[in-house]
Amino acid sequence: MRIPIKLKFFLVTLVMVLIAMVGLAFADSQKIVRFTEAWPTYIDPAVAADFSSSVSVVNLYDTLVFPTYEGEVVPHLAESWEISEDALNYIFHLRKGVKFHDGTELTAQDVVFSINRLLTIGQGYSYIFEPVIDKVEALDDYTVSFTLQEPFGPFLYALVRLYILNEDLVLSRIEDTGEYGDLGDYGKRWLLTHDAGSGPYMVEEMRVEEYLHANQFPDYWKEVDPDAPLEFRFIGTTETATVRTLIRRRELEISDFRQPAEFYQNVAKEEGVKIAKMFGGSTLYCMMHTQKPPTDDIHFRKALAYAVDYDAIANQIFPGARQSKGPVSSILPGHKSDIFQYKRDLDKALGELKQSKYYDQLDEYPIDLIWCAEVPDEEKVALLLQANAAEIGIKVNVVKTPWMKIIEEVATPDSTSHLYLIFVSPHYAEAGSMIQSKYHSSSCGTWEQTEWLEDAELDRMIEQAIATVNKEERFAQYYAIQDYIVDLCPSLFLIDQPENYAYQDYYIDWVAAERAEQGERVNPVMGYNHYMLDVKVYPEKRDELLKK
Amino acid sequence: MNFSRYLIRRLGYSIFVLIGLSILVFMIARLVPGDPARAALGPRASEEAVEQLRSRLHLDQPIYVQYFYWLKSLFQGDLGESLFTRRPVIEDIKEFLPATLELAIFAGILMAFFGILFGVISARYSNTWVDNLIRVFAYLGIATPAFVVAIILLLIFGMYFEVFPTIGRLSAWIDAPPKITGLLTIDSLLTGNFAAFFDALKHLLLPAISLSLGGLFQEARITRSSMIENSKKDYTYSMRAYGVPERVVISKYLFKPSIIPTISILGLDFASLMGNAFLVELLFNWPGLSRYGINVMLRKDVEAIVAVIMVLGVVFTVVNIIVDIIVAYLDPRIRLVEKGE
Repeated sequence: MRIPIKLKFFLVTLVMVLIAMVGLAFADSQKIVRFTEAWPTYIDPAVAADFSSSVSVVNLYDTLVFPTYEGEVVPHLAESWEISEDALNYIFHLRKGVKFHDGTELTAQDVVFSINRLLTIGQGYSYIFEPVIDKVEALDDYTVSFTLQEPFGPFLYALVRLYILNEDLVLSRIEDTGEYGDLGDYGKRWLLTHDAGSGPYMVEEMRVEEYLHANQFPDYWKEVDPDAPLEFRFIGTTETATVRTLIRRRELEISDFRQPAEFYQNVAKEEGVKIAKMFGGSTLYCMMHTQKPPTDDIHFRKALAYAVDYDAIANQIFPGARQSKGPVSSILPGHKSDIFQYKRDLDKALGELKQSKYYDQLDEYPIDLIWCAEVPDEEKVALLLQANAAEIGIKVNVVKTPWMKIIEEVATPDSTSHLYLIFVSPHYAEAGSMIQSKYHSSSCGTWEQTEWLEDAELDRMIEQAIATVNKEERFAQYYAIQDYIVDLCPSLFLIDQPENYAYQDYYIDWVAAERAEQGERVNPVMGYNHYMLDVKVYPEKRDELLKK
Repeated sequence: MNFSRYLIRRLGYSIFVLIGLSILVFMIARLVPGDPARAALGPRASEEAVEQLRSRLHLDQPIYVQYFYWLKSLFQGDLGESLFTRRPVIEDIKEFLPATLELAIFAGILMAFFGILFGVISARYSNTWVDNLIRVFAYLGIATPAFVVAIILLLIFGMYFEVFPTIGRLSAWIDAPPKITGLLTIDSLLTGNFAAFFDALKHLLLPAISLSLGGLFQEARITRSSMIENSKKDYTYSMRAYGVPERVVISKYLFKPSIIPTISILGLDFASLMGNAFLVELLFNWPGLSRYGINVMLRKDVEAIVAVIMVLGVVFTVVNIIVDIIVAYLDPRIRLVEKGE
């Protein structure tokens, strides 16, 4: 058989075109840090609340105070502050000469505008401030006063979620067709893909669903290390094969934390790549409905708590995780480190079960355990819990449910099932955040509390603790609350989940990763471990790796 | 009936199909459990904000009233607001459709060109090693899902040999051409930006191959069997008996009637590419409509779901009509039947 000359010619041409295209590839050697994360990302501070959005706004905007790795806050835009004796009034003195990205100066009026905008829009982190703020006033260009409705102990810690926008710029970008009266859309459309901040980085280009590219702000008020990245690019993907490929090609400096265990095992074999394991405050609970038989019985709940094989969950299903110590993530300031921890003990489990009023009628009370369809690993936990419960005679039906349906189900006590496996993260870096959002009656009907605890005494204790300004006193009250909750056993406190990141250790220095490696605390406020000024990048070392 | 009347009739049917599709999708999107407004704003958004959004989207109205509002907006060129991207759906469609269209067109070209080429070669050299080799690849290509091909290509050409880019439509260091059609290859050619053209082409290659492979071999098999079948017909024997060279028999008398079934299937395959590109777009971080469609479905983004499915429905309908025209052009019998002759 002979291949015609035309076909031969065609095939040769095709191969040459391919070779020519390949030859066009070249490496860039910029001072850039690229990281992957799940989309969507909202860079409007009045909308941002999830992980990727928080990472973005942390780098684009400034706040009055800044959270440290030790869980404290230090002056940032605010150089100093005064708190009134009744803890209802906070006066902040702003740093002079801070420039927004358009070159105009940041003033107290911008702070007033930012908080008012956040509260009016009612999204993002507004829920932290909405029940607390009474009014905010600019006393002069560099002094701003916050008046609270009632004392709120962690107020300074909550302020790390108040990002300051450039009022004039936002007002010049409003669209008339919005839902905020004279303020039109309050600049929401424009702020979807642009920033109006004064942070260390400014948006260069944002392509929805694809990437956010930001450049270092040359007039940033703070001294910047010369090795800090000049650019960062947040790539909107978490696909394992894609992330793995980018890491190997040195086109990705920091991976997302949503990869399977096999990914980290494989990628750690690459030269110059390390895995950072950071406990960011995310905790997996099995929430138990305390108003529905048979989980309304405290002995029944405790029987389950003693039956669970915590080690299997922490070591096999979520390698690197650790069993939770009580209802609060152990990373959070205010966590009680010596709190009672339920351990697997089938004798104790049976002992508790025998004290339950349902002991003789277990067959009549099968319980439903709901796991979120979008989190496949939860199924393994659900099946393990089912097997553990069966060992003491409790029948558990495992039900896979989409997240949207879970949100709808848990809205009323009647439609809420017995058990839910749900990850919860703190809203600000203190134990009070988790205690309040998980166990105060005001959160019943949301996915954060499917326990329907509605315990008046607990509510009183939480409200009192939150209102306490003195930190030591507040923390002492948090400890008492944690003991109280553990004793009630409304949830199975399963694991504190680490966020695992693969990163290019050879050519970047990442403070958070180094702290995690040394067993030190990483920043407990979501997003701040990705503060790009805490990263140093050495492109020449990257080139070295590429040449090998 | 003449051919233009036939086409008008087809268009009329298509409009009915699209209206039916819109009602069906509109209902399904809204009957799935879950409150879209609450899901969009998160569990901690104030009830006022959620209520405001429900009211703005007319979610507090009966479903037929909602449909009426949607239809009214549609005629004003407004497809509603996406709860996922928080901007008008029409903007999303404008941004994401060209990316998928470019990918699908490129994959379609590969599918048509190589599918027909392999089919012709396979038929020409039937039952030789060339035919057998193509058939083996055809079975593999058809049986392997596009996302598996994508992962394999990504690993081979992206990770081990590092010869092709693995994400996006254009490298960061290349200046994007001004948006004219939204198709980067076309826009860069129109503006004379050849660096961008080759870069866009490089970005297209792996996802387009992944996407096209199944259809490509399907087309090759159909072309092959159709050519072999036609080569046994009397008119072919006559041509050979008259001493017409084999090359002319194939190119002039066999090829044209044999690719009619291929083109019919090609049209359907092309339209399917638009909707099925999801995993490939995900793997190559391709900002396309298919990926957007799945994302909005997962978030119960009602307006965007309806818009994406309607756009895909329109593409399907248009492609089918184009295929009908091509087939009628290639096959005179169809034209004659339509004319009643």
